[in-house]
Amino acid sequence: MKKFIILMLKFSVFILVFYSILIIFWGRFAPAILRPNINYTYRTYGFTNTRLNEISNFKNIDILFLGSSHAYRGFDTRIFNNAGLKSFNLGSSSQTPVQTEILIKRYLDSLKPKMIIFEVSPLSFSTDGVESTLDIISNDKNDLNSIKLALNQNNLKIYNTLFYSCFHSIYRDLFVEKKYAEDIKKGNDMYISGGYVEKEFKLFKYVNYPETKWEFNETQFSALQRIIELVNKRNIKLILIQAPSTSSFYNAHTNNIEFDDRIGNYGIYFNFNEISKLDDSLHFYDAHHLNQKGVEILDNDVINLIFKQKFILRE
Amino acid sequence: MLFNSIDFAIFLPIVFILYWFVTNKNLKLQNLLIVVSSYVFYGWWDWRFLALILFSTLVDYLIGVKLSKEENETKRKVLLWISIIVNLGFLGFFKYYNFFIENFTTAFSFFGNEIQANSLNIILPVGISFYTFQTLSYSIDVYNKKLEPTKDFIAFTAFVSFFPQLVAGPIERATNLLPQFYKKRTFDYNKAVNGMRQILWGLFKKMVIADNCAEYANIIFNNSDNYNGSTLVLGALFFTFQIYGDFSGYSDIAIGTSRLFGFDLKRNFAFPYFSRDIAEFWRRWHISLSTWFRDYLYIPLGGSRGGTWISSRNIFIIFIVSGFWHGANWTFIVWGALNALYFLPLLLLNKNRQHIGIVAQGKHFPTLREFFQIIITFGLTVFAWIFFRAENIGHAFNYISEIFSTSTFSLPDFKEIYRAYVTLGLVAFFMMLEWFGRGHEFAIEKLMITRSRMLRWSFYSFIIFMIIMFAQTEETPFIYFQF
Repeated sequence: MKKFIILMLKFSVFILVFYSILIIFWGRFAPAILRPNINYTYRTYGFTNTRLNEISNFKNIDILFLGSSHAYRGFDTRIFNNAGLKSFNLGSSSQTPVQTEILIKRYLDSLKPKMIIFEVSPLSFSTDGVESTLDIISNDKNDLNSIKLALNQNNLKIYNTLFYSCFHSIYRDLFVEKKYAEDIKKGNDMYISGGYVEKEFKLFKYVNYPETKWEFNETQFSALQRIIELVNKRNIKLILIQAPSTSSFYNAHTNNIEFDDRIGNYGIYFNFNEISKLDDSLHFYDAHHLNQKGVEILDNDVINLIFKQKFILRE
Repeated sequence: MLFNSIDFAIFLPIVFILYWFVTNKNLKLQNLLIVVSSYVFYGWWDWRFLALILFSTLVDYLIGVKLSKEENETKRKVLLWISIIVNLGFLGFFKYYNFFIENFTTAFSFFGNEIQANSLNIILPVGISFYTFQTLSYSIDVYNKKLEPTKDFIAFTAFVSFFPQLVAGPIERATNLLPQFYKKRTFDYNKAVNGMRQILWGLFKKMVIADNCAEYANIIFNNSDNYNGSTLVLGALFFTFQIYGDFSGYSDIAIGTSRLFGFDLKRNFAFPYFSRDIAEFWRRWHISLSTWFRDYLYIPLGGSRGGTWISSRNIFIIFIVSGFWHGANWTFIVWGALNALYFLPLLLLNKNRQHIGIVAQGKHFPTLREFFQIIITFGLTVFAWIFFRAENIGHAFNYISEIFSTSTFSLPDFKEIYRAYVTLGLVAFFMMLEWFGRGHEFAIEKLMITRSRMLRWSFYSFIIFMIIMFAQTEETPFIYFQF
């Protein structure tokens, strides 16, 4: 028995070393099709890396935006700056409350916002958030919080990508010029300093969506609760906002009221599907993302609301 | 609890430590630990059905005790029938109730009589087909006086619910497994190491081969109307490897896990896709079920002793019953009948036992004749699996008719085709290892065994790496859980 246990321990060490070496080479040299469980998305989409790199330039801001692509493609920091509201957009691809929690733990104290606008889409509360975790661990620094995030989500792809990302960041620091920056224009997307991503103007072609129901993931609601406690401890005002979707997409979901009721219990909440006057064809580029015209309408509505409700006083 | 889950990865070492370090001095305590662990293992899925296992255990235990005291043949027969009715009654209710109701109402409406019968929303208890057959074999063996009935209730409960093989076999005979619960188990280093090797190979089969093949088999079978014949052939091939990887992978993990606890379970698969005819295939596929039907159905029916007509009838009966055992659907019955049709010529020509040994034993490659025999047998098997996987008979026929259309001469085409080719590459790697290891109990049992520890460990580590790299990220249940 003793011999067996010693053998198992020795083999465990061996496999750990073997895995560490092989995953570095496999991740670096194998084509994507041969590494389905390493999804290293460093500088691939959403400009997360650029956004996180310039975060240190922003301090004592008025508004911090959080959330998924609805946030970083919906809240144009230029419009808010023009209204006298210094802002930063910390949205990232498919960001769910689970990842938002990690990001605010990392950056809230340095940004010191007066107010947080957290985009709460039912979509973010209906996913496990793996895609967003992969985006963050690929593009941000990795620390104990990353390990905690990986353990919470317990997904093979996340473990492999986290390990490879740690190696890759060391490799970049050693061998790649540090000032090398991500291209701020990719395809139809343009990164705007402050975190916003502007899409080349496009109109949405109407699609009829079949009736469906949101299936909520309870871990996202628990994470939201922790975020609220964390923000309250710092006396920062938190507003929950649901960004608008096309009416065809929004109305296809039969339990929107259930979502509104649940989210409403967590704090101040506004559903802009019910507030902003938008047209499916003119103000969206896809089913649930606004085009620049739509963004302008939404952002002005949000600014009016902020001043009207005196969340921040107009100077 | 699934073998391929984190829960099991935590559960197994805990039970292993308790088994060898805490309860090792007392056999009864060790058996009790197995019972408790097995009930936790099963209850993890749905604790409500534990009562069903316990009831089945109690009935067969008491019948065994009664049978040992009863000399009157009529009363003994009654006792045996109670066991059969109780066990098959549960199975019939949970598995076949809706099937019979639906078919009766369809049959009546066909003859113009509309009848109202409600089907029920019944959950099929995982593993019911397996443990029912296991307990039945006990009662039948005791009745036939092949086995001394046990008076040790804990040992009997452990035999019925032994967690490695509780939910998907191998279906153990009381004559093999029950006596192992009476004897003190001593830890055997070589057996445990071999068990770990078999667990590793089982996980590879399940997580890399079966789960990846399942992805494409599901895409193709679920949308078969949209694909050309060659894509449908590919879909059938994916399902062929999915079901083999899934089920034989489960058996490997079950047998390997049992070895860690000092038990020897029956072999359930012996490289069936290298069979040279269908008779050989059925000696190598789901062996514990085939031999169960042979011993408890085919032989009591007369086996091959009653002339051509009786033998043919018996072959059809066991194949159809075997098909029906898999599920309450006509597709399984047709699958069974088709295999009977494949088997029949061999039986009639008295050629059903011509391929007993290992194909191309001691050689690297088969002869051309063997190669073609393997390909033809494999082709017949793939064809039969279409019925097994199809949603209904109509679906199967549509699927097959598209395969026999001119569209089969165009290239396979579906959204994930390039990823599917990678999976085919994994299957090729897997079958290559299976071929080289076909002389042993499982493919990697002796592979690299004579090489240095460094090389051997690198090989095992590479297998683990393949699992880490290619496993599906969501835990997927084993196919045979639904049977």
